[in-house]
Amino acid sequence: MNIKYFFYLALALGLISCEPEITDFTPDKGEADFTRYVAIGNSLTAGFADGALYQSAQPYSWANILGKQMESVGGQEFVYPEVESEFGVLPGKRKLGYSTSCVGSTSLAPVPDEGVLDPFSRHVGYPVHNLGVPGAKLVHLLANGYGNPALVPQGLASPYFARFAATPEISVLEQAISMTPTFFSVWIGSNDVLGYAVAGGDGDAITPSADFETYYQVLLQSLVATGAKGVVANIPDIETAAFFNTIPYNPIVLGEEQAVIVDQLNSGYAAYNAAMEQFGLPYRIEFSLGANAMVIADPAMGALGLPAELQIRQIAENERVLLTLPQDSLQCANWGTMKPIPPQFILTESELNSIAVATANYNATIQQAAEDFGLAFVDVNKLMNEVAESGLRVDGILFTQSFVTGNTFSLDGIHLTAQANAVLANYFIDAINQTYGANISQVAVSSYPGIAFP
Amino acid sequence: MKKITLLLVSSFLLAMDLLAGGYQVRLQGNKQNGMGLVGTSLRLGSSSVFYNPGALSLMPNQFHFEVGGSAILSHVDFQLAGTNSNWQTDNPMGTPFYFYGAAKLNDWMTLGLGIYTPYGSSAKWDDDWAGKFLIQNISLQAIFFQPTLSVKIGDKLGLGAGFVYAMGDVELNKALNYGADASVNLNGSTNAYGFNLGAYYQASEQLSIGLNYRSNVSMSMEGGTASFIIPQSLSTTIPTANRFSAELPLPANLDFGIAYQVNSRLLLAVELDWVMWGAYESLDFTFEEQGDLLNSVNPREFSDSYIPRIGGEYTVSESFTVRAGMYYDRSPSNEDYFTPETVSLNTFAYTLGFSYRPTSSLSIDASFIQLFGGKAERTYQPDNFGGTYQANTIIPGMGVSFHF
Repeated sequence: MNIKYFFYLALALGLISCEPEITDFTPDKGEADFTRYVAIGNSLTAGFADGALYQSAQPYSWANILGKQMESVGGQEFVYPEVESEFGVLPGKRKLGYSTSCVGSTSLAPVPDEGVLDPFSRHVGYPVHNLGVPGAKLVHLLANGYGNPALVPQGLASPYFARFAATPEISVLEQAISMTPTFFSVWIGSNDVLGYAVAGGDGDAITPSADFETYYQVLLQSLVATGAKGVVANIPDIETAAFFNTIPYNPIVLGEEQAVIVDQLNSGYAAYNAAMEQFGLPYRIEFSLGANAMVIADPAMGALGLPAELQIRQIAENERVLLTLPQDSLQCANWGTMKPIPPQFILTESELNSIAVATANYNATIQQAAEDFGLAFVDVNKLMNEVAESGLRVDGILFTQSFVTGNTFSLDGIHLTAQANAVLANYFIDAINQTYGANISQVAVSSYPGIAFP
Repeated sequence: MKKITLLLVSSFLLAMDLLAGGYQVRLQGNKQNGMGLVGTSLRLGSSSVFYNPGALSLMPNQFHFEVGGSAILSHVDFQLAGTNSNWQTDNPMGTPFYFYGAAKLNDWMTLGLGIYTPYGSSAKWDDDWAGKFLIQNISLQAIFFQPTLSVKIGDKLGLGAGFVYAMGDVELNKALNYGADASVNLNGSTNAYGFNLGAYYQASEQLSIGLNYRSNVSMSMEGGTASFIIPQSLSTTIPTANRFSAELPLPANLDFGIAYQVNSRLLLAVELDWVMWGAYESLDFTFEEQGDLLNSVNPREFSDSYIPRIGGEYTVSESFTVRAGMYYDRSPSNEDYFTPETVSLNTFAYTLGFSYRPTSSLSIDASFIQLFGGKAERTYQPDNFGGTYQANTIIPGMGVSFHF
């Protein structure tokens, strides 16, 4: 026995398998063809975040993530209409910063982030695969002229579609078909209720469910007729979004030292309470020490025959206050106490019901269509409800409904963070893989950015 | 010897998809290292301070000293569940070492001292890897000091007891989801006590039996340093300098072994080690400031493991001995609570070793161990982080023993 021989043997054995490598994942397109993937949808598909469609957030839209992942299973480069500005196409971009309230206290909060925009009149000049149009309702996807820049100023066309519409006349659907897609995604419908919801139920209408069904059929039939396969997603209940859950119904907290104010408010509303009693109505406005529900204006009370000055009441626990409610007005202008909150900041119970009914109907339509057309289906509503109810953990990140700190919603409270977009992209990938026997790699969620703190 | 190695080669090939247990390091003697880390039933000199204090009193020489160490070179590959994205650890070399000395006070009583490193672990993942919110890197070290007394009862029985004073430190980094560079560094050290009891019985010239119990040592850390790197805007919420406490068990072992001297040249030994990993239920951090926000309970849910070992040595000549062995270490970690800080997979290992004796009182001992951490899909459910892990480790070691 020779020592050298013995050592060589040991070294040889050691070096052979010194660094293990796992090669278990085999990309596979399954029964689908991902050569040309076209994404149809709204701001969520386009990559809107923090109140704007801007350059550094755009690549993190779930559709852009998905398009990139498809490249390893035969997909061409997935092109999106890049915005060449960190501030967006239209004003509205927000960032986390310090804001000083009317009472002089400074806190960390979303503040406007203003700079040079990339105007919608600059056409990108190349064909794109991501046809997500911020603000689009279902019917808009079928509308000719929706991308006509001449019609944008009158509000008859979308500035976002005008950036990349192939012709002024073309509809989003026609442009999608003109790309000869082999695979498509359709995630549409949110704005059909959200337009109404973010306006507090005023100034926009919910798309009637029957119309939604008709348009959805047209949309999918036209796409399926090209021979392409695809994936569709339902829409989340609006109440799962931070936008509708951040400001509580009872933010007016009155301490012992404010007992005088309680008395003043109660005596101020004594006449209101007496009038309601006379009308035989149950409405009463009462303040007490502790947290108090806000006083809101509710024009729907006009239907009870009440005069305008009595169309106010305290908000109920199950009603929602929108994120857009100006905090300074609450703190320094007596909103919610002596002055009723204007209706555009509130979703009342009946408005919420109308939204919930429409959402349920849309989702029934979407799921049925997915079945009828044999498409992959993503239950985004279930996902967002899980986030809202119990929170969802992925790779050590806890996604909750909380504004700013919940990792789910960007600084507008409706659109997703890059990390949440990555989670969603993985759900899409999972649905596609299961339906078509494909094997598209998911993404590592922790590799994507969260909220940027200063 | 050729035969033995060939046999080993074929058996490990068959066992490739089998495959180190927690953060225990049993590399406490290069002779034992070469024999599948079998040691309870052997009298190999002063390293019995660790392996079985009972055997110390049956030591044939007046004085015995041993010193040595190993180099742990390990690699872990990880593939995130559902993806084709892989990350490898870039682990620093682990360097466990030992020093033992033993002296016969009289015919029936032997005094010994051991300084050794039976627990330790390090894992260095890429700072931006998929599991960065669980762990970026960790290093755990413990040094044990063990004064030992061993007594001989009759000609065949040895009993021994050692008092263990342990010093340990741990340092870890993990990313925080507050922006690109946000992270926390936890660094703490502590000391603790334990004991080591052993019984050795020389049943006949050929047959020896050993039983050893090493107690749990609970490393309870108070006032560890927590340094947070976080954006300015959060510094009022999360203090950048904080203190934490945590507790980590170094689990008890009960080892039972039998050795048989087949002939004047060949010795064979088998052993079963019961490692009481069940003590490692949870790793909890409590912070001095902002505890409501920062405190964390992190279930580990380890369970006891049983490690069968076999080893042998063959005396080729007066100056040369060769050794070989193998063992199978079933992972103590729970499939659903598997963390990348301690990648503990079912591990198969083969070992090789030799001793060269330039003089009758001096022995140079070398060993080589290769571990195969079986590929396995594991998840840490509390963080919903999972994927496929695979590990390979080689451990060359060298030591010197001296007696007179």
